Amino acid sequence: MTHRPDAISLAAGLANDSPLHTVRSFRPEFVEGAQACRAAVLTPEDDLGLNPELRNAIARRVALGADNPELLSGYPMPKTAELAALAQGRIVTTPALIALAHHTDMIAANPGKATAADLNTLQQVGYSTAQIVALSELLAYVCFQIRVAHGLKLLERTK
Amino acid sequence: MTAIPQITLKPLKWTPHLPPVEMADATPRQLAAMQVTPSAKKVSAYVRTLAHDPDSYVARTTLFNAIMYAQDGLPREDRELGALGASLINGCRYCANVHARQHARLSGSTAVISALYAGRRDGLSERDAAILTFAEALTATPPTADASHIAALRDAGMDDVQITDLIHAIAIFGWANRLMHPLGHSD
Repeated sequence: MTHRPDAISLAAGLANDSPLHTVRSFRPEFVEGAQACRAAVLTPEDDLGLNPELRNAIARRVALGADNPELLSGYPMPKTAELAALAQGRIVTTPALIALAHHTDMIAANPGKATAADLNTLQQVGYSTAQIVALSELLAYVCFQIRVAHGLKLLERTK
Repeated sequence: MTAIPQITLKPLKWTPHLPPVEMADATPRQLAAMQVTPSAKKVSAYVRTLAHDPDSYVARTTLFNAIMYAQDGLPREDRELGALGASLINGCRYCANVHARQHARLSGSTAVISALYAGRRDGLSERDAAILTFAEALTATPPTADASHIAALRDAGMDDVQITDLIHAIAIFGWANRLMHPLGHSD
């Protein structure tokens, strides 16, 4: 059986001949669904004013927390200095990106800490309601991907 | 061991922090995403909040439904237990409430959720304890789940398709929790 590797199997580091491909083929709707989600958060039809470069930088910042080089390599380093800093988990300097970096780090690591005040902060630096929703979906997608990849990696290693 | 008092959880109400899409103002793409016409009145505030971004709403909802409702594989109540474990670790009280009640409905018993809410791990079967412990470890940031968790699931009789179903149920709740809790409050 041939297959084109999807972002989850790449992030899980599955070998081409891994028996887990057969396991995953039992749930094609999970594989295709996760690919559709990835496209919807990184390169949506309507980006709501959040361009793919910014989206990729945020995703990469979340991915840093996974300790998973294969997953991280799915998010290329941005070319501009400010987005590269965001993507590398470093300090950023513009008010909008400072607020965004802070929110991203908190939701990725400790979503239970979030309050209405955190959304207020994002609004004050200029993010619209639609943009806040889109950013929330984007960073939560990467958190999903991290956990599916981690789980599949464990299954692969404990065969 | 002492008996664990059985609990009944009352449903909570979720209220968004941000203004949801009003049906009268919804764009054609938002309406298509919500799969309703402008005359429909009963679209939840949660759906209308997330419909601000119709692309991600459609893709995530499709995946969510596949993971939580797919036929065969892992029994649905076990997927609910994975969802509940993730929601408790992520501090999403609303999601925890909904999926604890789903677990009770699907399993026909409040024994598991009563043990859980009472902090009584000794009241869980080995299988339920294995599912819950794995859900907690996979939900941690970064995930701390290891080979011992997989071994415990296999010892409880789960095959790789079922464990894959469980991984997805836990992971999709890592996503849902990060929407439901940060974007609103429940009471």
